[in-house]
Amino acid sequence: MKDEQIQNSLAHVMLSGVLVAAAIMAAGLIWFLATHDGMAPGDHVFSGEPKYFENPISMVQRAVDPKDIGHRRSLIMIGVVLLLINPPVRVAFAAFGFAAQGDRLYTAISLIVLAVLIFSFFW
Amino acid sequence: MDELVFDILVAVCSLLAGVIGALIGLGGGVIITPLLVLAFGVDIRYAMGAALCSVIATSSGAAAAYLRDGISNMRIGLFLCVATTIGAVCGALLAVVLDPAVLSIIFGVALLATVLLSLRKKKDLAGPDASDPLAVKLRLPGTMPAANGPTPYTVYHVVPGFCVMWVAGLLSGLLGIGSGAFKVVAMDQIMRIPFKVTTATSNFMIGVTAAASVGVYLKRGYLDPSLVAPVALGVLAGAFLGAKLLAVAPVKLLRVIFLTAVSVIAVQMIARGLHINF
Repeated sequence: MKDEQIQNSLAHVMLSGVLVAAAIMAAGLIWFLATHDGMAPGDHVFSGEPKYFENPISMVQRAVDPKDIGHRRSLIMIGVVLLLINPPVRVAFAAFGFAAQGDRLYTAISLIVLAVLIFSFFW
Repeated sequence: MDELVFDILVAVCSLLAGVIGALIGLGGGVIITPLLVLAFGVDIRYAMGAALCSVIATSSGAAAAYLRDGISNMRIGLFLCVATTIGAVCGALLAVVLDPAVLSIIFGVALLATVLLSLRKKKDLAGPDASDPLAVKLRLPGTMPAANGPTPYTVYHVVPGFCVMWVAGLLSGLLGIGSGAFKVVAMDQIMRIPFKVTTATSNFMIGVTAAASVGVYLKRGYLDPSLVAPVALGVLAGAFLGAKLLAVAPVKLLRVIFLTAVSVIAVQMIARGLHINF
């Protein structure tokens, strides 16, 4: 696999990933604002709790449950999470590309970066 | 203020930030966090979370174009990302234990440093001499597209560059910024990589660096989706718009206005941090 191929596939992944994430965030935000009924943004006081962020399954469940007050923000959060995984996904693709090239050094370097990213998530 | 009005204002301001960022190469977290804190009264931690997400958004959009054009150097980027991501994790953990007032002060100081770095005379230090042997071993030197075909360039001082990248990563995690200015300085002043490659590669790196802080920010509740969404969407739209305006925009004038404004904001951020302590 040539460098140009790796670069092109990375570019593709990054751009389409960010556009999908943006579309979901936009949908969630518009939906949220359309039904907000003049709410004041009162919860901009810092609470220190992860907002609307839970494990993937419950986030999706919450987003589609009409009885849950926070469900539109769960949808926005899904979009945010998709945005946040864009960098690790691009690094993983790079690792894969370098492996396909037989470049052991850069496969290893990419995997180290990926490991730091994953580790930072579970700290 | 009504939520809808708030979000529209935030989105419009973020759009402007995105346009400026695309035109000047400096923006994202650096403008957005102070904007949200000073103009909108948002808690600095929510502001940092939103700014961090906007850095990831612009990185994904802008860097895609540079990669496709063959200007960024993936190997330099990924190698230096080892330093920046480790630094970012350290920075994010540090941010959590620091008082928000202290963060505000450090932010202001980092802003001033960024302005000073941007004002330095731009001498392209890329030279014809042989690269640092370590750089050759790591296969860092590459070629960049130019008028007369692919032009090779050399890379120097790998270890110092790596160390400065760690600091750039620390600032990114600590303050929720891309620290593109610091990365660019490390690459073009220390490692003597040509400007175009530096800017393009930095764009790629800021997203990966920012992602290293994300886990910590998420778990400590720095990310509010209803704030992140208008900011990220605004900045993304602004970045695309700014790239289109590049040919016709008065970039030099914008730089002067912008750097002046950022300096004023930096002082305000420092003052704010000191105020709270009284």
